[in-house]
Amino acid sequence: MTEKIKLCDLSKCYGCRACQVACKQWNQLPAKQTYNSGSYQNPPDLQPNNWVVIKYQEISDGNGGVKWLFRKDACMHCTDAACVKVCPSGALYYTKQGTVGIDNGKCIGCKECVAVCPFGVPKYDSKADKVSKCDMCLSRIENDMEPACVKACPTGALQFGDKAEMLKAAYKRVEVLGGDATVYGDKFVGGTHMVYILPEKVSVYDGLPEYPRVPLNVIAWKDWLKPLSLLAVGGAIAGSFLHYITHGPKTPDEDGNQVNAKGGE
Amino acid sequence: MRKGMIKATDAFERIIHWGLAISCIVLIISGLGMMYHSFSFLSIPVGGLKNLKYVHNFTGLIFIVALLFSILMWWKEAGIFKFPEDVEWIKAAGGYLWHVDNVPEVGKYNPGQKIFFLAVALFGVVMAVSGLIMWFPLSLPVVWVRTMYFLHALGFFVITPFFFVHLYLGTIGSPGSASAMFSGWVTRAWAKKQHPKWLKEMEESGKLEVYGE
Ligand code: HEM
Ligand code: SF4
Ligand code: SF4
Repeated sequence: MTEKIKLCDLSKCYGCRACQVACKQWNQLPAKQTYNSGSYQNPPDLQPNNWVVIKYQEISDGNGGVKWLFRKDACMHCTDAACVKVCPSGALYYTKQGTVGIDNGKCIGCKECVAVCPFGVPKYDSKADKVSKCDMCLSRIENDMEPACVKACPTGALQFGDKAEMLKAAYKRVEVLGGDATVYGDKFVGGTHMVYILPEKVSVYDGLPEYPRVPLNVIAWKDWLKPLSLLAVGGAIAGSFLHYITHGPKTPDEDGNQVNAKGGE
Repeated sequence: MRKGMIKATDAFERIIHWGLAISCIVLIISGLGMMYHSFSFLSIPVGGLKNLKYVHNFTGLIFIVALLFSILMWWKEAGIFKFPEDVEWIKAAGGYLWHVDNVPEVGKYNPGQKIFFLAVALFGVVMAVSGLIMWFPLSLPVVWVRTMYFLHALGFFVITPFFFVHLYLGTIGSPGSASAMFSGWVTRAWAKKQHPKWLKEMEESGKLEVYGE
């Protein structure tokens, strides 16, 4: 199976939210009462029942006016995913397609993934005591269909295809766009399976980390302390046994009244 | 109880000790099941990982209570190093590692036991604080919570090997010790070998409780 990615060309996104709706529909995510948060953006962030949200941001256009920036926020499907690294139940896993799947039945609601994802993606549903997130429409891509969001996008901002091909197209597009345009996603966390074409600098986008990575304390916890702990426990048990059969236990002297008792023998 | 046995611990001390020890071993086993996928079979007896997490979290509360009492009860005897005798004892490794003709005499707890006590007290508090935050991880910024997971794993790395060494030295590694934590009474020969200075001090001050006297 060749590795596939979703390419998200934000220069073509005009904020229609067709992807957001298509995602809810395909994944049968229930609607919830919304409220006005002072922005056209709705809901304010990813939610357990909203795996995709179009972020609406107003920035200065440099001529005294404002312009819209739209960003489709969803799971980036990291190749080196912090969430998979920490998930104790195996609910989060790498799929054959290279994306990060989630097996809801296995999730124990520990929220470890919530704390470690560099993009703040997994969201906890306190009613179900489970976490949920975009699974890149695994049931669709397993059957050679594109994800629902890609299918719905009317402007061609979303594409799904072979990684090498998509990246080539991305770099070509960035050249055409010129200016601050960049490709975002292929250079960190082992390469993401959702890759952006950003018309503006990374730092302009709210909530988009410039240097995302698996947090260092997570690496120290999972990659270092895990093997070291087993080694240390094994060492303590083996050491005790060796002590017992070589130096021997510290036995009280038969004659308890002897003052200058000998050390352990 | 045989005549001439010496009282080493009172009932309260023993109850707290076992509260701490049993909760600690349950936490180690349940923690192991959550930390390593290869140990997830440890969750089978309780019917799944989610229940194992509950076992771990609620046992954590028992651990916290036992830890508080342990610290209050033992810090004076086991939490403070005495000079110069404790340094001398460490230089001789208490006679545990090589042959020593005269092991320096130390008080009720030797420096090895003090190091164990201090490690458990310090990292026990670390486990309690980080564990409580990990139980409710959405209550703090993620940067803090990530660090709590790291600290919890660090505490595991420190406490677990110590636990096994303690188990060894409290049982077959030092015959006669275990009864201090079961019946509370030890033999005079054991006290003489393990804690000669304590024995002398207790005798001099007339506080020593000897069975049948
Ligand atoms: C001797 C004391 C303790 C030991 C040895 C211990 C050990 C562990 C271990 C090995 C893990 C798995 C970490 C991982 O996944 O890498 C863990 C997780 C955890 N521990 Fe402890 N722990 C102790 C005390 C506590 C206490 C006092 C609490 C709080 C009540 C606590 C709460 C937790 C929580 C909430 C988790 C996260 C598990 C989850 O929700 O997935 N622990 N512990
Ligand atoms: S973006 Fe977050 S939730 Fe998605 S794969 Fe990466 S670490 Fe996991
Ligand atoms: S909340 Fe669920 S998906 Fe997230 S780490 Fe825990 S078990 Fe895994």
